[in-house]
Amino acid sequence: MLSVLPRIGSGLIALLVVTSLQAATPTLVVYTYDSFTSDWGPGPRVKAAFEANCNCKLDLVGLSDGVAMLNRLKLEGAGSRADILLGIDTNITADARASGLFEAHGLTLQDSALPQSWQDDLFLPYDFGYFAFVYNRERVTNPPTSLRQLVEDDNGPTLLIQDPRTSTPGLGLLLWMKKVFGEDSDQAWERLSKRIVTVSKGWSEAYGLFLKGEADMVLSYTTSPAYHIIAEQDSRYAAAAFTEGHYQQIEVAGLVRGSQQKQLAREFLEFMISAEFQQIIPTTNWMYPVIAGKSLLPAEFDQLIDPAPALLLDERQVAAERKRWVDEWLEVMSR
Amino acid sequence: MSRAVPAALVLAILALLVLGPMLALFHLGDIPGYAASDLRFWENAYLRRVLFFSLWQASLSTLLAVVPAILVARAFAMQGQLPLRNLLLRLFALPLVVPAVVAVMSIVSVYGSSGWLPLGRSLYGINGILIAHVFFNLPLAVRLLLPQWQAIPQHHWQLSEQLGMNAWQRWRFIEWPMLREALPGVLLLVFMLCLTSFAVVLTLGGGPRSTTLEVAIYQSLRFDFDPARAALLALLQLGLCMLVALLTLKMQRLPEVEITLSTPARPSTSLHKWVDIGLIVAATLFVGMPLLSMLIDALGGPVVRVISDANLWRALASTLLIGLTAALLSVCAGWWLLRYSASLAYAGRRARARLIDLAGSIVYVVPPLVIGTGMFVLLSPRVDVFDWVYPIVIAINALMGLPFVIRCLGPAMRQNHARYHRLCLTLGLTGWNRFRFVEWPLLRRPLGLAIGLVAVLAMGDLGVIALFGSTQTSTLALMIYQQLGAYLVPQATVTALLLLLLCLGVFALLERLIGGKTVVAG
Amino acid sequence: MLRVEALEFAYTDAAEQRMCFDLTVSAGEVLSLIGPSGSGKSTLLNLIAGFLPASRGRILLDQHPIQDLAVAQRPVSIVFQQHNLFPHLDLYTNVALGVNPSLRLLPAQVEAVREALARLGLTELQRRKPGELSGGQRQRVALARALVRRRKILLLDEAFAALGPAMRSELIELVKVLVREQDMAALLVSHQPNDALIASARTAFICAGRVAALAPTAQLLHQQEPPELREYLGSQ
Repeated sequence: MLSVLPRIGSGLIALLVVTSLQAATPTLVVYTYDSFTSDWGPGPRVKAAFEANCNCKLDLVGLSDGVAMLNRLKLEGAGSRADILLGIDTNITADARASGLFEAHGLTLQDSALPQSWQDDLFLPYDFGYFAFVYNRERVTNPPTSLRQLVEDDNGPTLLIQDPRTSTPGLGLLLWMKKVFGEDSDQAWERLSKRIVTVSKGWSEAYGLFLKGEADMVLSYTTSPAYHIIAEQDSRYAAAAFTEGHYQQIEVAGLVRGSQQKQLAREFLEFMISAEFQQIIPTTNWMYPVIAGKSLLPAEFDQLIDPAPALLLDERQVAAERKRWVDEWLEVMSR
Repeated sequence: MSRAVPAALVLAILALLVLGPMLALFHLGDIPGYAASDLRFWENAYLRRVLFFSLWQASLSTLLAVVPAILVARAFAMQGQLPLRNLLLRLFALPLVVPAVVAVMSIVSVYGSSGWLPLGRSLYGINGILIAHVFFNLPLAVRLLLPQWQAIPQHHWQLSEQLGMNAWQRWRFIEWPMLREALPGVLLLVFMLCLTSFAVVLTLGGGPRSTTLEVAIYQSLRFDFDPARAALLALLQLGLCMLVALLTLKMQRLPEVEITLSTPARPSTSLHKWVDIGLIVAATLFVGMPLLSMLIDALGGPVVRVISDANLWRALASTLLIGLTAALLSVCAGWWLLRYSASLAYAGRRARARLIDLAGSIVYVVPPLVIGTGMFVLLSPRVDVFDWVYPIVIAINALMGLPFVIRCLGPAMRQNHARYHRLCLTLGLTGWNRFRFVEWPLLRRPLGLAIGLVAVLAMGDLGVIALFGSTQTSTLALMIYQQLGAYLVPQATVTALLLLLLCLGVFALLERLIGGKTVVAG
Repeated sequence: MLRVEALEFAYTDAAEQRMCFDLTVSAGEVLSLIGPSGSGKSTLLNLIAGFLPASRGRILLDQHPIQDLAVAQRPVSIVFQQHNLFPHLDLYTNVALGVNPSLRLLPAQVEAVREALARLGLTELQRRKPGELSGGQRQRVALARALVRRRKILLLDEAFAALGPAMRSELIELVKVLVREQDMAALLVSHQPNDALIASARTAFICAGRVAALAPTAQLLHQQEPPELREYLGSQ
């Protein structure tokens, strides 16, 4: 009996040591979306890069998409264990702001690659992209050169788009049309609707149908062709460059007010706008890095169209008018 | 009556799981960041249109799926000696598993502009919706209706031969009366499945003209941050289904006489035989073509790369865990409910029995998004939800599986009770002994089907796991969706094929282990 | 007169598993069949009715072979132990089905149905459903239907096995009367040798797929040969 005690004792001591060691390494919890944390997304590399220097553990929690993330945070409220929310876009930043769940990050974006200057003290961007209509070069030999041409050419290409009620690109197109056509967007939609093959629930369905050849063009991103070029060595896909410009999607991260690891969180946000993080983005998230630097983009990105000028509506306007605009769109499309 | 206690418990849990979350959502309107809702939805023309369309597409789909299913089930019943019969019937459980987005793509592969039977742009509209719904539901209806033919006593067939009945008279006097017990339930189930169909309707429907209530609920909860409205719409959907359910209840006739489980010899002329075979072949082709196109696409994809991914196997393990546990829970809950319902029916209180069946089934139409979010609201102040992901997902999937259990097991259980209850009482057979000697041997087959169905349903589920899953708890279905969202279409098709094969295997195994040797006797 | 000549039925290909029956039943006679379970009693009835195909042999009714006729064409009516009636139809309709499955009856046929029901004491119950009746009443309905069909052969496959002894003897007496009236050749399969005593002048003992013994009932029930018969009777 007595001989067992030392063994138990040393076991307990070992346990204490291990747990205290673990207690010594803090954990940073980042809520983000599924494709970020998946194996083929930025997640694994970001985690490895950050943990190498921070003496901490990075816990990337994948929650379906940006909207779901924000909802989740709202539902969890002050008791949430999230330190950072990464992956909402400018369409819902107004809502996020109104929730009062975020705190100023206190950082400035140096060497920004964004076409506009970034003024937001609550949210920090980490990548951005532009919506565009993607097509197969072998099928569409004469793509439209402007949104107006796409709308007005009654014999133009057939389209696959997403529903603004359920998908961010869908909403993006709605806002894009609003920006270009303003009060005339209803008529524009009516004309366009004749060539819309279907309006799908999300990006995956629409893009999948496009790859099956169900329509000439699909609403996607200017960077979509890059995936095919780099990962599949397939140069048939291209995005149509529109003279009015392309609607922009900027993805941001925010510091959660209730975080217990604010210091660490700010470190992460700094890391996020550093070259180390940013260089991971183009070939894992298929978006543009927010800091400038030729070395950050793979050579194949040169083959992509220049989306300038970037179109973006003010987030407050979007928040205020979105419901009404979606209702109008529904009205037109349901006729 | 001691049977009432477990049944009451199950019903209480159901009410809690369904109504609790909805109530929680109503109160969310007070939290900042959530919109106050305009609850007078009936004034909203958009919602009226949505309601009408939801009902219309669901009704049409149901008719188109179930009526042919009756003919096909009959064909299977009559051709008991058909080769590959068991395999085909197992195949019929598969469409249920396929995640909506994969199904959409497979259907497009077959009927799209570059497909085998191109429909061109007319696919995107009510045609597409009907094709997809029939693809999902006809095989299910066939599996649920087929056992009814088995319930027909051999002597009735023999008498029909002797009395010189023709095929129409046989249908009228022998087959239809037996079918009337199961049919309303199947109609209701298929109706619910079609009503709550979301991605399929929207994508194959061509656009916002084809919007169901589910989309409105989804939009309210996720994009408009209006949980009270979402809960209200969910209640509306629930109410709608109850109305339809009451209608179907009027139709239902519980059988008046006990049945035998012997396997009858059925008459069929050579013409009938060829018609039946034609029907079976047609149904198999219709169901099989999208599955086949999936197979072909998948085999051309990076099979080795996908299989050698360790995460795939982790996801597979999660999928199995969730599927099997949910199936077990669902069947247990269903069993208790049905035992009580059977005893009520036997005692002549048929209306009450049907109500209990209804209560168990109707919960299906409350969208998992609503239940999930509401549950989350209830739980998160008290526990760390991340630790509870598996139990919550399993619980909700078990809930979703309940109507299937009730459809599969209900008629058989009622008949078993009617036949053997008095005997059990006189012999003093209760509890475990009764189960072992009376219920298990005779109810094995529908039980096997029930467990198999719920297991594959839960394994293919995307709605619930997407709400609560984080990368640690990925399932195969979620993985497919993630791959699709990351341009990895070929990988997604391979993963989808693996999911399908897994489900086929699990289904066949469960049916065989629990249900016994033959799928449905012939 | 019903004659069964070397009627063979093989339920497997093995020679030992073949059943072969020979017997004769006169018009107006009820021949009882007794024997252990699985001996082939019901199989014989099924062969005569046409539910099972005979591999060899003949079935003759008044010198006319009927073994090649379809089930519906054979001059046979059968009453089973249960499931004779369609549960969702009332008694009248159940009987009427025996006349014409389309239920389109000529006035004469309607009258015949009414008469059959009356004959079996069922007139007051004719609008009821089988579920509301006792076992004995249900078998009466089945008999009424057999009656109304006016076929020459009546087969009773343990038709009264589920009834109490009083009801059983009552119905057997009824069957004897009906069979004599209509000049039918009847075969009654029963587990109770007692039933044979009431029903038949002659009884056949079926064993291992053959008619092992055929004799006047009282004599057969005390026979010692063959040994299987002695064993069977001993166990009753």
